[in-house]
Amino acid sequence: MSSSQPNDQPTGDPSKTSLWVKRFGYLALAWGVTMTAVSLLTGSWKSTPPTNRPIKQLTPEYASSDSCQSCHPGNYASWHASFHRTMTQVASVDNVASDMDGLNLSFHGTDYRVERKGAAYFVRNKPTGTPEAAFGQPVQIVLLTGSHNLQIYWTETDEGRTLGQLPFAYVVAEKKWAPMEHTFLVPPGPGQVYQQGDWNIACYNCHVTQGRQRFVTAKKYDSQVSEFGISCEACHSGGREHIEQNRNPLRRFALHWSDGADKTIANPARMDGPTSSLVCGQCHSIWAFKSPAVEIPWSRGGAQYRPGGKELDSRWIVQPTTTDHPEERDALLKTDPHFMTERFWGDGMVRVTGRELNGVMASPCYQGKQFSCLSCHEMHPAKTDAASLATWARTGQLKPELTSNQSCLKCHPGLQTAAGLTAHTHHAAESSGSSCYNCHMPHTTYGLLRAIRSHQISNPNVRESTELGRPNACNLCHLDQTLAWTAGKLGDWYGQKSPALAPDDRELSAGVQWLLKGDAEQRLLVAWSMGWAPAQKTSGSDWFYPFLAFELNDPYAAVRFATWKSLQSLPGFSGYEFDYTVNDAKQKEAVAQAYQKWWFEQRNKQGGYRPETMLEPEGSFRQELLDRMIQQRNHRKVYLAE
Amino acid sequence: MNTSDRHLRFGWWSLFAFLTLGVVLEALHGFKLGWYLNVDVEIRRLMFTLAHAHGTLLALVNIAAGLTMRTVKGFELAKAPSFSLLWGSVLLPLGFFLGGLVIHDGDPGLGVLLVPIGALLLLYGVGSAARTLGKIR
Repeated sequence: MSSSQPNDQPTGDPSKTSLWVKRFGYLALAWGVTMTAVSLLTGSWKSTPPTNRPIKQLTPEYASSDSCQSCHPGNYASWHASFHRTMTQVASVDNVASDMDGLNLSFHGTDYRVERKGAAYFVRNKPTGTPEAAFGQPVQIVLLTGSHNLQIYWTETDEGRTLGQLPFAYVVAEKKWAPMEHTFLVPPGPGQVYQQGDWNIACYNCHVTQGRQRFVTAKKYDSQVSEFGISCEACHSGGREHIEQNRNPLRRFALHWSDGADKTIANPARMDGPTSSLVCGQCHSIWAFKSPAVEIPWSRGGAQYRPGGKELDSRWIVQPTTTDHPEERDALLKTDPHFMTERFWGDGMVRVTGRELNGVMASPCYQGKQFSCLSCHEMHPAKTDAASLATWARTGQLKPELTSNQSCLKCHPGLQTAAGLTAHTHHAAESSGSSCYNCHMPHTTYGLLRAIRSHQISNPNVRESTELGRPNACNLCHLDQTLAWTAGKLGDWYGQKSPALAPDDRELSAGVQWLLKGDAEQRLLVAWSMGWAPAQKTSGSDWFYPFLAFELNDPYAAVRFATWKSLQSLPGFSGYEFDYTVNDAKQKEAVAQAYQKWWFEQRNKQGGYRPETMLEPEGSFRQELLDRMIQQRNHRKVYLAE
Repeated sequence: MNTSDRHLRFGWWSLFAFLTLGVVLEALHGFKLGWYLNVDVEIRRLMFTLAHAHGTLLALVNIAAGLTMRTVKGFELAKAPSFSLLWGSVLLPLGFFLGGLVIHDGDPGLGVLLVPIGALLLLYGVGSAARTLGKIR
């Protein structure tokens, strides 16, 4: 080859140079091939899975969320931002509480110390009061449940993949450790909420994707999951076939041009209301196994139900007021006579959170086959920027327009105008009393240390309060009003007949009565409502203080927590310090301190407190009434199976 | 216009066009436009980035082809390989660009079908150039 501008002449022997370059080239090539082969071989060696906790092991049907990301990046992003993803996590430096290393906790005569070794955390314990040397063998913390409300910590045991539990939970918002029994609405006193193996028996059913218990021997399990946390395939079913078939670009483009329905994957957004709701309800419902026999295949291979199915296969959804599954129902109540009362109000309305499908199914809207969880919630919002996703995840994954009445107006167009709305609600159109949710989905469900909206669309009535003890929507907002007042309004507006009312119900605030003489759940619902902005605005919050101060000494820890948070929401008590886990004597000190703080700093010195709130005009308790209410308090043991 | 002039002229204009596209993409970053940056449209971002990168690189290839014809004696691309190289340099980045304009979830739009056509033309053009150069003594 010749060039129009000749190059400089090279120096040295060109043939020798080129020989060395050739040799070097061959050597480099051989090195590259060898290294590639070594990489391939080492890459194919699988690392040994840990033996002290459940492991991720895909079944042939499942492919895991990693496989979904490349084709559905937006959906992957919204799932990744959701708390479904972090429902169960392998414990690591990235997801445990920030104060874990060096954490010291004590409860029920036992001291616990958590220490970090490398990337792992270990807990040791000893009897309180014994020397440091008494700390026992370190036990590794291996799994976590929850990430935005409560975080529960699971430990290794001597029984393979069977898990034990750290007896403390982390209350995320408060950055506080609390004994497990102080994070549930359970009777006070020593007791263990979870026992060894409970994760493998119960939690794995819903807090992972396609978990398999894999019973080995008594209290020993070899549990596996398809994915920790609730991932794509929990709602869309196993994705292996979908992935295989859609490697073909022609198939994909055919789907893009058609209506997009793909038979190889389930899509709840394309299902009718009941079928779609059941996808959520496979976990968000109160269910029971149809028989002990079906638990064996369940234990080995996990749930047989797949999204799109019309029933839960080996399980059935327990509704107290229906007549389906009579044999299973009898068997259930024989083995667990308290099953219904620990989960439902007397009329069958579900009273514990996380079981929303039971409420939805009992709603009149559900009968039209269109209404579903996705009428109000969305799993994959349109906006996928980090801030929007964070807001969506924090607000119950609600659709953006559903902070208003929009969801209901789709089927109730008569309420779209201010005049139509006011004619129905008898409240100003812009007020909280004209919000559909506040009247038809009141906060009568308990969970995660607070009151949560009922998901059964219902009409408020006084009878539910007098006969079942459930605070009605009107008096949860109008905390200062009597049941007779509510009965009068509901009679005038909607023609409801008033039930027989006790003298107290004609003279004294329903809210105060529930708070003082109600059972633990009634007390909690009212204490929480006193921190609810619409109730504070409607009822006037200046009379809440003494009652909330009083309830800081409630025997139930969960009630004390809700009380404390409501107290903090009142003027003058922002950031008010109170440890709801302390003993009775310290609680009483806190009551006195909070009461005095109110009396001297916040009390309306002009007086004018109304008699129905059970206060004297200057603000002190109407002592005789208070004593009577406390004497009449319902001390029944409340255990709500969250 | 002779062949080398054609490749040089095309190359410099193409370089100008795809560098401009690069500036536009940087502006989309600067203004944080969700249409380009959101996670759910990441395939659009990939397609536009590929269009920018391929367009710029192929512009340089055309400039190199023009300069090679001027500096290597006896080297002249025949009409077919020359036009293949030119059309390949247009169709391939254009395919990526059009594929990013309309997207379907994780898939690009049908405009991306220009990419394999452009790639074939490009391979033919570059391969012919290499073969022609190899024959020159």
